[in-house]
Amino acid sequence: MTDLGQLLLAGLSVGGVYALVAMGFAAIYAVSGVLNLTQGEFAALAGLVAISASGNGFPLPLAALLGIVTVVVLALAIQRLIIAPVRRMTTLLSIILTLGVSTALKATMLLIWGPEGRGLDPLPGNDFTAAGVAVRSQYLWILGVSVVVAVAVSWFYERTLAGKALRACAEQPVAARLAGISVARASLVSFGIAGLLGGIAGVLASPVYFSAWDSGLALGLKGFVAATLGGLTSIRGAFMGGLVLGVVESLVAGYIDTGLRDAVAFVVLIVVLVARPDGVLRRQVAARV
Amino acid sequence: MAGIRALGAAAAVAALLVATAGCAEKDTGGGTDESGPIAVGAILDITGAGASLGVPERKTLELLTKKLNDAGGINGRKLELTVEDNQSTEDGAAKAMNQMVSKKVDLVIGASRTGTSLAMRAIAETNELPMLSMAANVKVVDGAKWVFKTAQNDSAVLANVVDYAKSKGWKTIGLARDSSAFGEGVAETLNSLGKADGISVVATEKFAPDATEFTAQMVNLRNAKADANLIWGIPPAAALAQKTYKQLGITAPVMQSHGIGNQVFLDTAGPAADGLIAPVGRLVVADQLPANDPQKSVLTTFVNNYKAAYNETPSTFAGHAWDAFQLAVDAFKAVGTDKQKVRDHLEQVKGFVGITGVFTMTPQDHSGLGKEALVLVTVSGSKWQLAPA
Amino acid sequence: MARGREWIGFAVFAVLLTAFPLVAPESIVDIGVYALIYGIAALGLSLLMGLAGQVNLGQAAFFAIGAYTQGMLVTRYGVALPVAAVAAVAFAMLAALLVGLPLLRLRGHYLALATLGLGIIVTVAATESDYLGATSGIYGIAKPEFGGRRYDSAAEFFWLLAPVMFLAVLFARNVVAGRIGRALGAINDSEVAAECLGADTFRLRLQVFVLSAGYGGLAGVAYVHWIGVVNPNAANFPLSVEFLLMAVLGGLGSVWGAVIGAVAVEFLDEGLRDVIPRLIPHASGEVQLIGFGVALTAVVLFVPGGLYDLWRRAVTRLRRRSATPAAPSGSTVDTTDETPVLSRPDRPAPGTTLLSVEGLVRHFGGVTALDGVSFDVRAGEIFGLIGPNGAGKTTCFNIVSGVLAPSGGSVRLRGTRIDGRKPHVSARARATRTFQNLQIFGSTTVRGNVAVGRHLRGRAGLLRAALVLPARAEERAIARSVDEILALVGIADAADRPAADLSFGRQRLVEIARALALEPDLLLLDEPMAGLSGGERADLARLLRRLRAGGMAIVLVEHDVEAVLALADRVAVLDDGVLIALGRPDEVRHDPAVVAAYLGLDEDDEVDETADDPVVRAAVRELDGG
Repeated sequence: MTDLGQLLLAGLSVGGVYALVAMGFAAIYAVSGVLNLTQGEFAALAGLVAISASGNGFPLPLAALLGIVTVVVLALAIQRLIIAPVRRMTTLLSIILTLGVSTALKATMLLIWGPEGRGLDPLPGNDFTAAGVAVRSQYLWILGVSVVVAVAVSWFYERTLAGKALRACAEQPVAARLAGISVARASLVSFGIAGLLGGIAGVLASPVYFSAWDSGLALGLKGFVAATLGGLTSIRGAFMGGLVLGVVESLVAGYIDTGLRDAVAFVVLIVVLVARPDGVLRRQVAARV
Repeated sequence: MAGIRALGAAAAVAALLVATAGCAEKDTGGGTDESGPIAVGAILDITGAGASLGVPERKTLELLTKKLNDAGGINGRKLELTVEDNQSTEDGAAKAMNQMVSKKVDLVIGASRTGTSLAMRAIAETNELPMLSMAANVKVVDGAKWVFKTAQNDSAVLANVVDYAKSKGWKTIGLARDSSAFGEGVAETLNSLGKADGISVVATEKFAPDATEFTAQMVNLRNAKADANLIWGIPPAAALAQKTYKQLGITAPVMQSHGIGNQVFLDTAGPAADGLIAPVGRLVVADQLPANDPQKSVLTTFVNNYKAAYNETPSTFAGHAWDAFQLAVDAFKAVGTDKQKVRDHLEQVKGFVGITGVFTMTPQDHSGLGKEALVLVTVSGSKWQLAPA
Repeated sequence: MARGREWIGFAVFAVLLTAFPLVAPESIVDIGVYALIYGIAALGLSLLMGLAGQVNLGQAAFFAIGAYTQGMLVTRYGVALPVAAVAAVAFAMLAALLVGLPLLRLRGHYLALATLGLGIIVTVAATESDYLGATSGIYGIAKPEFGGRRYDSAAEFFWLLAPVMFLAVLFARNVVAGRIGRALGAINDSEVAAECLGADTFRLRLQVFVLSAGYGGLAGVAYVHWIGVVNPNAANFPLSVEFLLMAVLGGLGSVWGAVIGAVAVEFLDEGLRDVIPRLIPHASGEVQLIGFGVALTAVVLFVPGGLYDLWRRAVTRLRRRSATPAAPSGSTVDTTDETPVLSRPDRPAPGTTLLSVEGLVRHFGGVTALDGVSFDVRAGEIFGLIGPNGAGKTTCFNIVSGVLAPSGGSVRLRGTRIDGRKPHVSARARATRTFQNLQIFGSTTVRGNVAVGRHLRGRAGLLRAALVLPARAEERAIARSVDEILALVGIADAADRPAADLSFGRQRLVEIARALALEPDLLLLDEPMAGLSGGERADLARLLRRLRAGGMAIVLVEHDVEAVLALADRVAVLDDGVLIALGRPDEVRHDPAVVAAYLGLDEDDEVDETADDPVVRAAVRELDGG
């Protein structure tokens, strides 16, 4: 029983990180249909910047903030310089574009920080054991923050006028523009939100899961899988998808075979996509004949 | 838009020019004759999964080359070192090896790890080029004529583990090993070495070299309730595994492999490292060795030189590179650069005092090190200590 | 003429391949070997992306499957190299078939990400499998040896691989330029129109997916014999990205582009590895990925057609200078010819029921668009379908042509049910249609559009594309039929112009010509008159009469009530999803229910020419035929 508890806790913790990254995917996709594959790199970069800042004497909260801000600025820059200028953006095109950007970004992180992974200092708190399960305080931080963030972001997208306006842009961009919503600005805001989410994920994950130049790849892909589980346009769905994925990974690693851990996400992805083929994305555009 | 297209086209052409310019420089050949500089190629895992090995190896080779050339070289000939990064990939290693061959180097040092070394081995054998690898797995040199290695074989390391287990009366061992070539065959070797004393592996867990999550593996080890557990990997994975081990409150004694013999491990594992036992090269405890240890002076000199140049203590991986370099230099000094002669000389090395151990090669054993090359150490207060017997 | 230019291109390619190892220094030839190896994989990917419009982010998975299979067969089982190579490629293709069957039903970006997952699954599977050597993989694979000679130097290996590459390019070129490539290009332009012309979209895409994987596997075979080692790293994601970059840089779907892209990327890789450490000391290794990432982004942003597109534009710009101005457009049809046309010996006799619609129902959410519509259409008749806006004509049409599935009821074509099945099934049963919102294949010429209509009348598949000659005969026959049809419809003068450049009315004629090229027994025309001038309408009406005389059945949906009543043998009138009248034009003309429907009156209202309201009088007069 303690094993199950231990594995569940570990799964929820890593799932919380996945959830934050997944929400970043959904945040952008729900507004512009763009699939931003640099989402994972946002997390890695935020972690690395925070580590450098911390190493240079900045107190931890400030270092973390610096990491997050850097990533938000980067996200806005990517939207402005690379996504916005493309006239006819399709999701497929956005995948290839952001793939290029993420590759360049990864290699730049390699150039600046070198190949080793490092960890940020953990957030304050004591580890303890409850019911035989060793609980690291960092796990609780991750879970707690991700829940709070999920609630905040989904409230924004679903309850506020601004959020609804953002979502309208993806459904009917022309109608949205006619209603006075600036689609360009909506896309920019969504990228900013995604950057924020990715940055928080990176800073939270770094003490436990380490940041390295290439840690963004796995994180981004798994975050995407989690977002897909939740329907890609739903913030709440992405959050739940992240937790579910983390837990399933942990249980598979624990009870079946640790080597299969990384394959879980992709097997899940393929199964979900095949079992619910066109239904995952409701926004099907049938040809008008 | 047309302007941008023209710009794109110009950029593409420029890129191609850069590319060809870069390639044109490749043809500076080394000499095969007995005059002119001695060309040594080094193919190391500098980036990628093997970075923690390749980086210190490169530093060592560059340091030693400089010292050698400053002191006049070998019989008046300078040594020209060309370092290539194989990016920890097999085809990177093969590519680099092919290029070394066409550059006509006299000898190749590399690679840092088993997989990459294997990719280079076939090319070394076909082209009859002496190669000194720093990889752990004996597969690299098994049956080879031109390839030698300076890192201890797994069997030598595991023999120490078995001896220690025997001395403590342990019968069951739980194993968490790196899933790469570094960890391959460990369980089998342990079982075969321990059979005579009734020591066996009761649980085997695997982790990816870049893993950061070890809960599942450690939970399973905890359940296996072995007398002792062995974590077999290199940092950061080995260190993070160590931390998780302690965090889960597993009380059984924990051992590690020789792959942790570096400061990175201590830094990453922190206080969780205290109390572990590992067989490592004498390098990390050079200052604690008795004065009559044959390696002591070589070790101390190396540590001092490395510290002076790089402001950090050298790891055991740096030591493997030192051994490869000095073995090569020793051969060059004795027989010149004729490849066949160099190879034959290497094969007959006896009692060569190196960093990793004292080497004695034979035609059947191109590794040259036995279990005596290692000592058992523990960590106390985040510092290496010779383990109490 | 295009053929002639092509042969020059291939000849130049052959010369380059042969001469390269002779003039280049060894280290450059080494790079050339990698360019060839990876280029084969990139070629497959470019075919897939360009022809089928699908992105495969896991090409490295098939590369690895080919490499592993070859490595296993050659080292563990001692199979001879060529035999093992065939098996390895076949195995990669089989894997693609198994994977493609479920995955290719996914929308584009989902497929891309599913294939990405594929690469990772292959890596994990290879790592976990002791049979495959786990992380060490398989090593000790010997360099190729034929007739006692070992091909182990870069130059020798290059020469060995060159003919393989040459044939790969030739094959790919044939696929692109042939029937399959044409159909896929049409699918990319308008999937629904291509389907209605008989292109089985799913099957075609699957074929290209499998072919692309075969190329990947072949590249893997070459790789494993060059490096001598294969391990789970061979399926890694950065390699798939590298393939993607090669395909995109060269130009998607362009066979030559893929070759250029492969060469460019490999040399760029080398150059960057050399230059970057010099600019930034102690920067080592995969930093050249910066270059890859920047290149990929830049190409997609600025030069989306790739290098090949740049080349083509330059050539076209040169050629346009010397181009002759377009001949004035005009119909070349004899305006009095009423002879029957396009008859077929196998066609059912006039009067036989071809299309049978029974109890058709269709709901859209809470709206019922069709509520129990039944009628049948016979060979040798023109059947009109009219009704006020929103009556459900287009919905009915879409269901009959297979574009939409009904909620209830059935549609039978010569006795076989086709409701709910994809349009190409109807096309195979010789029923096709045109579209109210034109679905022209904008990426090709008028001739190209009509040629797609011949898709089902040809049989050249992938295997035939490999051998040029037999397909050439078929292509010539297709070209002849296309010319005949163009002349028949009256657009022969615009044959080689890009279809997208034509006027709206003439584009309509292109669609009709395209549909006729299928040699249908049942032709469904959706608002064919809209946008045509008076003269064009008369010509079209005459063409339809000639087709009817030849035994074809034609269903016409039109807003121009007069034209339909004049042309049709029988007319069905829909209103609010219900059939309110069915009979000869003169019967329908005076049917009070029909008049009421068009005027929006209740059935009980009296309607006649003496009504007070001038609008009503005009409407009744109109229905009476003026």
